[in-house]
Amino acid sequence: MVTDLESISFLKKHRNVFLLIAVIVVVAIWKPHAAIYGLQRGSLYSLVGLPLSLTLGVVGIMNLAHGDFLSLGIYFVYLFSTNLGMDPLLSIIPVFVLLFLLGVVIYKLTVKRVLKAGHLNQLLLTFGISMILLEAMNLIWTSRPRSVYVEYSSSSTTIAGVRFGTYELLYVLFAVAVLIALQLFLKKTRLGQATFAVGQNPRGAKIVGINTGFVYLFVFGISVAILGIAAGVMVPRFAIFPSVGAAFTMKSFCLVAMAGLGNLTGILISGIMLGVGEAIVQSIPGYAGWSDIVFFGVLITVIMIRSLRRQSL
Amino acid sequence: MKITKSLIILLVLIAAALLPVLTEAYFISVAITILTFMTLAISWDMMLRTGQLSFGTAGFFGLGGYTGIIAVADFGVDPVMGIVLGGLLAGGVSLLLGMAILRLRGLYFAITTMALASVFMVIIRNLHKLTGGPGGKIVYTTLFNYDSTKVYWLMLGIAVGTIVVSELFQRSRIHFAIDAIRADETVAKSHGVNIYKYLIFVFVVTSIIQGVIGSTYALQYGFVYPESSFSAHYLLLPIAMALVGGIYTTLGPVLGAIILGLSSEYLKLIMPYGHLIIYGVIIVVVVLFMPNGVYGALKDLFGIRKRRLEER
Amino acid sequence: MSILKVEGVTKRFGGLVAVNNVTMEIQKGEILGLIGPNGAGKTTLTNLISGVHTVSEGRIVFDGTDITLLPAHKRCNLGIARTFQIARPLKNLSVVENVMIGGLFGKGEKLRESRKSALKLCETIGLSKPDETLDKVTVLEIKKIEFARAMATNPKILFLDEVMSGLNMDETREMIETVRKIRNTGVTICIIEHVMSVIREITERVVVLDRGEILAEGPYSEVSQQHNVITAYLGEDA
Repeated sequence: MVTDLESISFLKKHRNVFLLIAVIVVVAIWKPHAAIYGLQRGSLYSLVGLPLSLTLGVVGIMNLAHGDFLSLGIYFVYLFSTNLGMDPLLSIIPVFVLLFLLGVVIYKLTVKRVLKAGHLNQLLLTFGISMILLEAMNLIWTSRPRSVYVEYSSSSTTIAGVRFGTYELLYVLFAVAVLIALQLFLKKTRLGQATFAVGQNPRGAKIVGINTGFVYLFVFGISVAILGIAAGVMVPRFAIFPSVGAAFTMKSFCLVAMAGLGNLTGILISGIMLGVGEAIVQSIPGYAGWSDIVFFGVLITVIMIRSLRRQSL
Repeated sequence: MKITKSLIILLVLIAAALLPVLTEAYFISVAITILTFMTLAISWDMMLRTGQLSFGTAGFFGLGGYTGIIAVADFGVDPVMGIVLGGLLAGGVSLLLGMAILRLRGLYFAITTMALASVFMVIIRNLHKLTGGPGGKIVYTTLFNYDSTKVYWLMLGIAVGTIVVSELFQRSRIHFAIDAIRADETVAKSHGVNIYKYLIFVFVVTSIIQGVIGSTYALQYGFVYPESSFSAHYLLLPIAMALVGGIYTTLGPVLGAIILGLSSEYLKLIMPYGHLIIYGVIIVVVVLFMPNGVYGALKDLFGIRKRRLEER
Repeated sequence: MSILKVEGVTKRFGGLVAVNNVTMEIQKGEILGLIGPNGAGKTTLTNLISGVHTVSEGRIVFDGTDITLLPAHKRCNLGIARTFQIARPLKNLSVVENVMIGGLFGKGEKLRESRKSALKLCETIGLSKPDETLDKVTVLEIKKIEFARAMATNPKILFLDEVMSGLNMDETREMIETVRKIRNTGVTICIIEHVMSVIREITERVVVLDRGEILAEGPYSEVSQQHNVITAYLGEDA
C-alpha cells in the first residue's frame, strides 16, 4: 500500500475531507434527509469496504466472497441473538472471533495455494467460495427472511425539523472507530508495521525478515473478522437472508477503486460520498428504484477516468 | 486420421439430430438444458482465452431473454426473430460496455461484468411498462408452441454454430492474436496486435451468443422474471462445466456440460435442494488441483503430445 | 538521413525520473550502440520508442511521422521492432508460431504466408525444430526466437535489448554475424549491450546514458576514453 501523496489515488487525504464536509453541508441544506441517511448508509459501506481494501492492498487478492462472509456473519449474529438472547452488538465479540478463525482456515486451505497462481485462478477460487457460502446458507437457513428485533434500533430524533433514525449513527461510529483502529494498528504495532511493509513491497519485506506468510494469514483473517462488526451493527435494521451481503462485495470494490489502494481514509470518504449519492437519487420522486445502480455508474466513471489517465489500482 | 475424425463428428451429429425421434420428452428436455449450458460454457471459455475473466454470462443471458419476450409480446415479432433480436441487443450493450471497461481489464473488467446481472435487474424492475417490472412478463406465443422436438433441433443448431465459431477462433489468425494477448500483452502489442480491438471483438461475439441462448430459453417457456432470468445459475454452471471439461478448448466445455449436466440430473434426485453447492465445490477443487480439467487429463492419458505448456 | 528523432523526451514514474530530457537521432542504416550502467534508462528509452510506455514530455518522430501519441501496435506496423531484455517467449505457442505473431500482426500477412516466411526465418537464424513447444528450448534458441519474431514484423528499425547476454563465445560470434546480415538488408539497428567487446566490434556510433541523461555520443573508440564515461560506468571490457 503506497500512502505517500504520489500514490495513484483519487482522493488525497485532507483536501478531500474538507470537500466531503462541504458536500454534506450543501446536501444537508438542499435535502437534509438525504444528507443524514447518506452519511449513515455511506458509513456502513465504508465499514464493509475497509477490510476489502486491506485484503486487496496487502494480500493482493480480490475476495469475491467478501459479501457472503458478511451474510454469514449476520447469520452468526442472528444465532447468538435468538438462541442465547444476546444483544446483537454484544455478539460482535464472539462473531468476530469465529469469523477470524474461519478466515484463517479458509486461507490456509485454499487462498494460500493460489497466491502465486495468477489473477484468474484467484478470482475463480473466491468465486467458488462465494457460491459455496451462498448455497450453504440457502441450504441451512432457506431464503425465508428473518429478523431480530431490538427496541433501541427504531429510536429516532428530530433536529431542525428533520426527523431521522438515531440507531444508524452507530454505522458512522463503528466506521470511524475501525478506521482509526486500523490506522493505529498499521503505524504503532509491530505486526501492523510489518503489514504495511508487506503491502508496499512484499519481496522487500521478506528480504528484511518479515514473515509475509503470517501477515497474509492474519490480514485475511482480520478482514473477514471485521465483517463481523458490520454484521453485528446491521442485524437490528436489516432483513436477514442469504444474499443480503452480496451487493456489498461490488460496492466495496467500487470504494476501493475510488479511493485507490492503500488509502484507508479514502474508503471512508468515498463510502459516504456513495451513500449520499444514493440517498439523493432515492429522494427523487419516481426514480427511487434507480439508487441501487448509482455505484455502478460511479464505477464505470472511475474506470473511464482512470483509463484516460492510464492508471490502474 | 483426419477422415476418421470427420467421420466421428458426422456420426455424433447424426445421433444428436435423431435424439428426439429415439427418446421421450424427459430426455429431450434434459438434452435441451445440456445444450443451453454447453453453449454458455463455450462462450465463457472463448472470452477466458483472451486472458480476461467475464462474469457476465447470466447478465447477457437474461438481457437476451427479456429482449426476446418483449419483442414478441409488445411488438408482435415472431419468436425466431425475437431470438435474433436478443442476440443483437446483447451485442450492442456489450459493445458499449466493452469500449468503456476493456481499456482497464483484469480485475476491473471481471467485477464490472459481475455487477451486470444485478444492474440489468434493477433497470428492468424499474421500467415497469416495458418489462413488467418485478412481476416479470408473459407471452403466449412461445417458440414453436412448446414443440420440444423443434426446440431441440434449434438448440442443437445453435450449439453446433457456437462450436463452429469457437473452433474458428481456435484455428484462424484470431487464435494467434488471442493466445498472444493471453500469454503476454506487452509482447503482443509490440508485435502489432491491436489488443483492444480483439478483446472487444471477442467480448461482443460471446455476448451475442449468450443473448441468443437467453432469448431461446425464455421464448421456449414464454416468460421472463427478474430473479430467474438473471439467476446466478447461468453463471455458476457454465464456469464449472468449462473448468471440469478443460478450459482454453472447445471440446472441454462440451465434455464438461455433458458430464455435469447428466450428473446434475442424477443429483437432483438424491439431493433436491442445494445441489448447487456442488458446483461451487467443483470450481474450488478444479482450480486448486486439476487446472486442465477432464479433457486435459484425457489427453495426457492417451499420450497425445500436449501442444500447450502448463500456462499457469 | 535520420530515421528516428527523440526530442526532449522525459519519463516519470511517480517520483522517479527514468529518462530526463533526452534528445538523440538515429541515422538510417546505422548500427547504433546504446550503453550505460544499470538503471541508466536504456530499456525505458526503448520502451518509450516502441510504445510500451508513453512519454511524460517530449516528442518522438519516426521516418517523418510524429509517433508520440501512437499506440504500440501501430508503431510496430510503421516499422519499429524490438526484443526484450528478459526474453518473453509466448509459452502457449510453438517456436514457429511465436515467430508467426510478428508476421501476422506486425507485417500483416495472411496465415499461410506467415507460416512460410516464419519457417524461412527460423531456418535463416538457425532454429532447427520449428514445431517444438517452448518447454524444451535452450537459452540461445529463446534469444533466436525473440530475434526472429521481431524480424518477422518486417521492421525498418530494430532494437536489440541485451541480446548477447548469457551467450558463449561461439554463440556471440553467430549473433554478431546475424546482426550484420540483417543490417545489410536495410534494417537500422540499435543495440543495447553490456558486453563491450560486442559494442566495440559491431557499432559505428554509440550513445551513453547515465541516470536517464545522455552522457556522451560518438564512435566507441572515442567515447570509451572519455573521463566522465569511465567514471560513470565501470563496465565490462572483454
